[in-house]
Amino acid sequence: MSHSVKRGMLGLALVIPSFLILFVVVILPILYAVQESLIDQNSGEFGLGNYIRMFTEPAMRTNIIYTLNVTLVSTVIALLVSYALAVYLRFGKGWMARWINRLYFIPMFVPGVIATYGLITLYSNHGWMARLLLLIGIDTFPKIIYSYSGLLLANLWFNIPFATMLLSSALAAVPNSVVESARDAGASSLQLFFRFILPLSYKTMWVALTFIFMGIIGSFTAPFLIGANSPQVLGVAMQQVFSNYQETHTASAMAVFMFLLCSVMGYFYIRTMGQDLDKQS
Amino acid sequence: MIVISIALLAGCSGKSGSEAASASSTGTTEISLYTGGSLNVKELWETLIPEFEKANPTIKVKLVYLPSGTGGQSAVDRLLAAKQSGQQSVDVDLYEGSLDDMTRGNSQGIWAKLDSSAIPNLSNVDSNALKQANDMAVPYRASSVVLAYDSSRVSTPPKTADELYDWIRQHPGRFAYNDPATGGSGSSFVNTAIYNFLPADAMNSSDPSMAQKWDKGFNLLKELGPYMYQKGVYPKKNQGTLDLLASGEVDMIPAWSDMALEQLNKQLLPSTVKLAQIDPPFTGGPSYLLMPEMSTKKEAAEKLLNYVLTPEAQTIIVNKMYGYPGIKWDLMPKELQNQFASVSSGYRQFNSGDLQKEINQRWQSEVAGQ
Repeated sequence: MSHSVKRGMLGLALVIPSFLILFVVVILPILYAVQESLIDQNSGEFGLGNYIRMFTEPAMRTNIIYTLNVTLVSTVIALLVSYALAVYLRFGKGWMARWINRLYFIPMFVPGVIATYGLITLYSNHGWMARLLLLIGIDTFPKIIYSYSGLLLANLWFNIPFATMLLSSALAAVPNSVVESARDAGASSLQLFFRFILPLSYKTMWVALTFIFMGIIGSFTAPFLIGANSPQVLGVAMQQVFSNYQETHTASAMAVFMFLLCSVMGYFYIRTMGQDLDKQS
Repeated sequence: MIVISIALLAGCSGKSGSEAASASSTGTTEISLYTGGSLNVKELWETLIPEFEKANPTIKVKLVYLPSGTGGQSAVDRLLAAKQSGQQSVDVDLYEGSLDDMTRGNSQGIWAKLDSSAIPNLSNVDSNALKQANDMAVPYRASSVVLAYDSSRVSTPPKTADELYDWIRQHPGRFAYNDPATGGSGSSFVNTAIYNFLPADAMNSSDPSMAQKWDKGFNLLKELGPYMYQKGVYPKKNQGTLDLLASGEVDMIPAWSDMALEQLNKQLLPSTVKLAQIDPPFTGGPSYLLMPEMSTKKEAAEKLLNYVLTPEAQTIIVNKMYGYPGIKWDLMPKELQNQFASVSSGYRQFNSGDLQKEINQRWQSEVAGQ
């Protein structure tokens, strides 16, 4: 056996275990879900019946639009806040920046259920916030829990720390010399951001965007506990269809649809990464 | 993918406890009791079993507890599979389940008939309840949904269902029931609202044509919607509404008697919260013990059943679970009878099988999504 064949076989042997795991826990379930989703829940026949119903039933269509709305709005706000925070942490001096730098990732270590109950206790109708406001004489409190804004709040709580962490590490890689020389040449803060900082951290922004989007679109705990009864986000609706109505095929169709939405995101992500690789080579 | 992982989880959990022990050589018999439900059920058995073993030193009871939603169904599935594959014995000697489990297994003959010559205390149980269960399942405890209200803000609670609906209309935003798909107390409110318009025996019919007659009930629920908490917020889970009552956001909710009494006792609910049943009552249901026909240790299992139906064991059950006893109330200690007087007036049972699913589905699209 030649040296290169041996090396090739070694490479294959190293790849096979991870490929097998990927195959059993990711690829097989996806294929199984796709197959399940193509069996019509009502007639039991093979076809697109579940998908057609998903997009024509008014309740489900509202759910889909609602999910996309919540996801897109949360993603954009989370990204903007994280970017602002990361830039502030990178260039901000002083005790504020130092303390935020130490504390901002704490929400990542709080389990989802606990954080959600925390939000309920804090922002519900008779929660702490409402009572504090009452002390200073404000007796109207907006409806946050059990509504769209509560969901938005929960999504921001869960996603800003992680996105900030990703963006911070990208901004840390922006050399000070670049910033200083741009300043010397007379660049304004905005120019500095759009001409230098954004292009230099553009790739990480896509990573952050993808992770926020996928995390929110598939979320269940927070929307289940603090979302409205109707419309529901897809995760909650899927659970209801699966375990309460026991319509496995309809639920699979919803799962596949959600998977497709995430794949679109994944496609852009991989394309961005790919472009970068091309440039390097 | 979520779907798949749930299915996988459910598949795995059935295997726990399969290595139940058989009779040992020292003359003691070990029986396995399969149970499920919430943690309080496990705690109940952990109190009952030592008492029983003290009185019957030759019998050991092995408790196999499957938390709710993890594999309760699979115990019955296993019994059915054992029967179909022609096995001679199973390691399940007693099973705690529902009337549905009885019906499901009965067609295959997996449950043994319970006989009062072997279990004398069966005579303590209401004979109608036993007849309803084909003498194959004994209701050993029960709980029902009642009205829980804060007496500091509600001085005269509604006595009838119509008075309740009027109260809701007169006090906008002060009543809440939970999403019926997520918990029995909300589901009982919805079911009674629908079936109060129908004859009494409709609740025991699983005839799909019954669904045609729900319109009046759903119209009532839709009409009540804007008077609910925050103009139509239905919290998730039984605990969701109890939390609202505890924090004073609402004044009245439907709640499981056992949950409410337990939380009153642990002071999780303010002491001003009181319970009452309305007329016609909300629904509730017993929990049953069943003995598999293929159990090889029926004699020991019958002894345990007999013990569970004594007033002493029932007193432990009522005190631990804050539920109804499985035996007749007049056999229970006087003080317990007084303590539970407010909720013991009874309940109705809802046995409509798959119709419950359809009610939930229709509720989601018509009432939640109105």
